[in-house]
Amino acid sequence: MKTILQAENLTKVYRVGSVDVHALRGVSLDVEEGEFLAIMGPSGCGKSTLLHLMGGLLTPTEGRISVDGEDMTAASDARRTDIRRRKIGFVFQRFNLFPTLTAEGNLRLAERIHAGGRDNDKEAEGQRREVLKLLKLEDKMHHKPLELSGGEQQRVALARAVINRPAIILADEPTGNLDTENSAIVLNMFQEMNYRFNQTIVMITHNPEAAAMCRRIVQMRDGQIVAPSTGVQL
Amino acid sequence: MDNLVVNNIRQRPVRALVSVTGVALGVALVMLFTGLSRGMSNDMQRRSSNLRAEIIFTRSGGMELTSSTANLSTKYADELRKVEGVASVVPVIRYPFQSGRGFGFEMIEGTDWDAYAAMNGVRVVEGRAPQAVDEVIVDETKAAGGKNGVGKSLSIFGGKPYRVVGVYSPESGARVKMSLAAMQDALESPGKCSYILVKCQDGVAAEELARRIGAQLPGNKIQLTRDIVTNIEQSVPYLGVFLRALVVLSAIVSGLVVMLAMYTTITERTREIGVLKALGASRGFIVGLIEQEALLISLLGLVVGFIVSLAAGYLIHRAYGLWFEYGWRWALVAASIGVGGGLLGALYPAMRAASLDAVAALSYE
Repeated sequence: MKTILQAENLTKVYRVGSVDVHALRGVSLDVEEGEFLAIMGPSGCGKSTLLHLMGGLLTPTEGRISVDGEDMTAASDARRTDIRRRKIGFVFQRFNLFPTLTAEGNLRLAERIHAGGRDNDKEAEGQRREVLKLLKLEDKMHHKPLELSGGEQQRVALARAVINRPAIILADEPTGNLDTENSAIVLNMFQEMNYRFNQTIVMITHNPEAAAMCRRIVQMRDGQIVAPSTGVQL
Repeated sequence: MDNLVVNNIRQRPVRALVSVTGVALGVALVMLFTGLSRGMSNDMQRRSSNLRAEIIFTRSGGMELTSSTANLSTKYADELRKVEGVASVVPVIRYPFQSGRGFGFEMIEGTDWDAYAAMNGVRVVEGRAPQAVDEVIVDETKAAGGKNGVGKSLSIFGGKPYRVVGVYSPESGARVKMSLAAMQDALESPGKCSYILVKCQDGVAAEELARRIGAQLPGNKIQLTRDIVTNIEQSVPYLGVFLRALVVLSAIVSGLVVMLAMYTTITERTREIGVLKALGASRGFIVGLIEQEALLISLLGLVVGFIVSLAAGYLIHRAYGLWFEYGWRWALVAASIGVGGGLLGALYPAMRAASLDAVAALSYE
């Protein structure tokens, strides 16, 4: 099976005033194609830092990280941005949709960024409608985020993340702002994406029920992986 | 319209309005000042071109653009008549006075009306020529609107009232004229004038006659009428420098207003910029997005600025009689200032946005 994401001995040290804060202390992790992986751990254990390193939003102090065969460790900011544009989709806890754009507008913006600033073609429009249909958002495509429920907003955010068929989706507490019912709906959608399209997903969560829907769970504590591979049979 | 740039502007209408106003202010300033300069210059040229006398005989310092003195003896008129090739001569006193509207100066001329009218093809279209010492005649532009028409009164020479007894056409020289004797009396300059208009006989070249006059009456200033008012920008010292300084200041005002607006905008939208970065937007894309917003604001400011300058020009003309004429060249300069200032002003905030740390931006509250 192809390895989509490879992290080797990642260390991340933040300088806060005159104090060095070790967010990650030698984390190694491989994510295979089609995996749905949960990363769990208490607050401040380094989960988000790891996710940001995986997404090329941060560079490691030490170690190496590559996505779909492209090394991001020594890449310039522009190069990492390019890899992110082509290979990675993000889903955030707070949805982070553009409030002035409709659901469709948010998707079009992601497409435009993916296309390097060019306008979307007809093929993209068909794909967009397909994704919105899959996520049961067809009748919401002309609604702005504030006109949608939290669950619907997160589904739009998921649609935005998958619209350009990324190699991997990185989700940062995607159900953290949702009630139980909407959490279940969104997690089911993640699972469907993973099953139907073999979409690779890495999800940070505090929620054991959410983690239980994943194929593998990684536990972190104090900047290290403490339970590297808890397999969960689905 | 589902467009991030347009929607962002629509979402913050007050700030957009302030930015548009800032750009419009810069554009309107340039348009109004250059329009006024051009309008007044052309107005003076029009009136000078209606003088049919080819030569103006005066003394150095006797007549400037905005002032004149009565330092020339009217006896020169008799001397000039003796020069071969001279058809007729008319002594004139020119004197600046405040127009009574509290804005700028106007000129009044004292001359022998019949001689002046005969020489320059001017005719009385209403009322009659001035005769008494407290009478004046005005041109049609001055009389327009009825405020200064026949029967009205003008305050000249320290507020002394002068009655308008006639209206003449076409416009020629100063818009207000009185008799030479009355003006000499008012200025206490008997036997004096500011300049003498000289008309050539048919077939005599003005340049040749000017040379002849210069030879026979040395020590005086002899000018061809067509050279008197060429361009107000050249006639008024440092006007060109002033206009250029105004252009630079306008560009700075436009740029600063847009910069401030865009700077506030990106501070407000820090999280959105973080999201753009997470989506893989390049620095160029983010800069482009902010510059597009600045461009749209600048274009709106440009349109508003042009409309304001046209409306203000019309209203000021109606209220104060000042002339505004807008030219394509200055309109292009104003447009460049509006758009260029806006784009440049937005560049720093745009670059700053593009350089934001993505993780810090995403966690911005």
